[in-house]
Amino acid sequence: MERAEAGSYSKVKSKKKRNYTRLLRSIIQGYGFMLPTILVLLVFILGPVLYAVFLSFFDVTLLGGTVLDYTGVDNYLRIMEDSRAKRALVNTALYVGIVVPAQTFLALFLASTLNAGLKGEKIFRIIYFLPTLTSSAVLTLIFMWMYNQNGLINNLLDKVNLPTYNWIGDPNIALYSIMIMNIWATAPLFMVIYLAALQGVPKNLYEAAELDGANVIQRFWHITVPQLRPITSFVVIMGLIGTFQLFDQSYIFSGGSGGPSNSTLTVVLLIYQYAFKSLGTMGYATAIAFILALIILIASILQRVLSKEEQFN
Amino acid sequence: MKTKSWMILSSLLTLLLIAAGCSGNDGTSGDGGSETEDGKTEISLAGWSSSPEEEKLLKQQLEDFEEENPDITVKHEVIADQYMDVLKTRLVGGEGPDVFYLDAVEAPALIETGVLEPLNSYVDEDFDAGDFEENLIDPFKDEEGEVYGFPKGYSTLGLFYNKEMLDEAGVDVPTNWEELEEAAKELTTEDTVGLGISPEMARNQFIGESGEGDMVVDGKAAFGSEEVVNALQPIVDLRNEHEAAAAPSEMGAESTGEMFGQGRAAMVMEGNWNVPYLNETFPDMEYGVSEIPTFNDSQGTMAFTVSYVMNQASEKKEASWKLISYLTGQEGMKTWTETGLELPARASVAEELGYEDDEIRGPLVAGAEYATAWSDGPNLPTIYNNFDNEFLSAFLGEKSLEEALETGEDVANSEIGE
Amino acid sequence: MQKKKSWAKKLLYVVLITYALITLVPFVWALSSSFKTFAEISSGVMNFIPKEFTFENYKQIFIEEDLFFRWLLNSVAIAGGGTALNLLFNSMAGYALARISFPGKRMWFMLILAVIMIPVQVTMIPNYLILKELGWLNSYQGMIVPAMINATFIFMMRQFFINFPKELEEAASLDGLGRFGMFLKVVLPLAKPALAAQAIFVFMGFWNDFMRPLIIMTDAEMYTLTVGLNSFKGQYVTYWNYIMAASMVFTLPVLVIYMFFNKFFMKGLSFTADK
Repeated sequence: MERAEAGSYSKVKSKKKRNYTRLLRSIIQGYGFMLPTILVLLVFILGPVLYAVFLSFFDVTLLGGTVLDYTGVDNYLRIMEDSRAKRALVNTALYVGIVVPAQTFLALFLASTLNAGLKGEKIFRIIYFLPTLTSSAVLTLIFMWMYNQNGLINNLLDKVNLPTYNWIGDPNIALYSIMIMNIWATAPLFMVIYLAALQGVPKNLYEAAELDGANVIQRFWHITVPQLRPITSFVVIMGLIGTFQLFDQSYIFSGGSGGPSNSTLTVVLLIYQYAFKSLGTMGYATAIAFILALIILIASILQRVLSKEEQFN
Repeated sequence: MKTKSWMILSSLLTLLLIAAGCSGNDGTSGDGGSETEDGKTEISLAGWSSSPEEEKLLKQQLEDFEEENPDITVKHEVIADQYMDVLKTRLVGGEGPDVFYLDAVEAPALIETGVLEPLNSYVDEDFDAGDFEENLIDPFKDEEGEVYGFPKGYSTLGLFYNKEMLDEAGVDVPTNWEELEEAAKELTTEDTVGLGISPEMARNQFIGESGEGDMVVDGKAAFGSEEVVNALQPIVDLRNEHEAAAAPSEMGAESTGEMFGQGRAAMVMEGNWNVPYLNETFPDMEYGVSEIPTFNDSQGTMAFTVSYVMNQASEKKEASWKLISYLTGQEGMKTWTETGLELPARASVAEELGYEDDEIRGPLVAGAEYATAWSDGPNLPTIYNNFDNEFLSAFLGEKSLEEALETGEDVANSEIGE
Repeated sequence: MQKKKSWAKKLLYVVLITYALITLVPFVWALSSSFKTFAEISSGVMNFIPKEFTFENYKQIFIEEDLFFRWLLNSVAIAGGGTALNLLFNSMAGYALARISFPGKRMWFMLILAVIMIPVQVTMIPNYLILKELGWLNSYQGMIVPAMINATFIFMMRQFFINFPKELEEAASLDGLGRFGMFLKVVLPLAKPALAAQAIFVFMGFWNDFMRPLIIMTDAEMYTLTVGLNSFKGQYVTYWNYIMAASMVFTLPVLVIYMFFNKFFMKGLSFTADK
């Protein structure tokens, strides 16, 4: 035993050395590839974020010579007592809960349909993509016009004898109006990502399944869906982030107030109001922002656990 | 393969360009706007631009100014959207413009922070500060009476009425709320409501305060009081009980002005910006303007003022003052208000342009004297945000007015804090 | 069997066409409004074919705005340069996070994910302050450098590369290619569909970006198209005719780029080894 160990000593040493050089090489390679990202991240993203973390512990007036007033965790505690913050959180959660599943499924459905080799799919791909190309502000304005009480949508509903709504003014409806618009506008974006990913699904898997007598729907569930799992994970997490951060649409819909009766108030709209509309509440705004980031983070991790995707390695 | 090398090449090229850009930058970027080579002083002027017409007028003013002051050039920056957010960001960064537009509603909060230059020491005889309408300039004063901005013009609300519709219904132009209510009921048809209403505090504060109550007391929201609720109740009832009023969003319009133009409202309370708009887009329409009918026997309207203010951190204050005093002086203001885009805040200019006798603008000019200026302390943005939010649902009949306004007041005050 | 299939196909077409119509309506409306007079838009009548066909709105944009071509150049330079850098850097980072095991990898991945979760509204002012310190206000680099990587697409590329077969990399390393050479010569060409998708999104992001240039650019010569053409939304009156014409001018170049890249989705190469 001893002799064997002594004999392999030099081997172990050289192995260690090899391990060491391998480690060194992986560091050089890994960080070499990451270098541009890390630089930008540190200077332009992490810096401002840390600054914002710092501000969240103060009462801050940035204008006219920065005035800082240390308040500890007061800003975080204040969220608990803020009825509008609670309302914003409920609205946002409802919004996320409906929009993310709907747009993910719609995107996957559209992508797999447009990948099935139908005639004219090229044209459909271009048409479906149109809403994504148009800026969200212009889209929102177009939709507001269509949602008007005498607008296109109510006209159509009226023609087929369906009830009409006050899509923008009715507090019970307004948030759903934004949801419909957002699902419609965002699904094509994820559709394109799915389309790209579908090119990577080996054709022979489908051929084999077809030989086994699997029908279209079975093939969809048993081949397409599992093969696209990493991309679905991406789509869902991006969907979570995008919907949790809903701002543009509710800003334009409500003219910035989050009305009627706070029904379109979202967390980010509230953050915006505290950061820019009232002076001296910048610190509170950043505190809400970090709570929101924490919620998104938890939701993303939950998604990963639930979908049993590979762990963060 | 080819795509890859193309990609890398262009990336490298971009990096190179950026590097070149960096070294070429001598650190004078931003709008400090130092002296230009020919010894001229360059000052920056920031504002928004409501219309191509407004841009043309300002250009004209600036040309006239530069002709009179050959040693100064003015760099005009248009902030296209979210004006105050962008402006505040630039001011925080110490890169704010030398001179800029400031809406009266934002003025008290900004004055409090000290980013604005007090102007009293600059004012001389020639400028004649007493010429301005008192209640237009008040929002730009602090407690000591120091002035921080002079109005470039103002707008008030008047009652716009559709002559044809009034004739058809045989209704006279109303002069008090009771008549207005009756007229609105008479004028309501299947496609048209009698009165178009913007359910916002900016348009209705004078009504809310026509009773005994104030909507803002000591910088806090007070619009939940019985007096204010009672004063606003008739407006809400006109829609929900008599079905003779509507908000623009209900009628497929963006503003009450558009409702009026499209014939969806027979009467609206709108500002003078509506005059060029109507003339341009609905040239065939016959309309009249009168003073807003009295509510609770008191004459009222809103006045919206925008002033030119100076950045306290400006390094070219002398030149900046020259610009402000020109733009808000008699000559500059005359150029600015000649087309009626805004009304002249100087009594002398108003007189010279003869707006008092103008059929359309007379009633609007008359309002300046008794108008409630749209500005009420540093917390007004928080207060009106919560008011608008809740008042809309009361107006649409989702909640009782009392309940809505009480909720709004509580939330506003808890946001304002002690 | 055959009959059933054709029936299903017809149904599929009905669904596809209905959805296409839903998508086209807002777009066609915007297109037609861009040829209407302001009076016609304000009249509140909803017709898809302009009663009075006019080019005035486009004339206002192309001719009356004497800086139009300068703005176009700025937009193209920023969006083009920014996209090229993003494609390279995001792919590199995504590849490293998916395929190279190095210490700290997990931390960096979490960090990249975490930063997208913080809303921009609270980092806007500190970001502005940094650009000011660097003297990068009113410059291309102020627009490009802070956005030359994008956490979202690093994440996306990582998800794409995770499925990538090991065998190809091993084969390539036998050919004596270094890691970077292999990345360029073997990995990237196989990722064409993902790169095409990324190119479109990143380009669009830069192209439609409004808030950043609005804050950063104060010289009219440095405006991008979005900022330059956005001054038609007045305080009280919105000039829909100009806005719609402007939105068409924004959309067209992106549409062309999309159509160009679209072919990569059709004949894209597989990630997987069995092809």
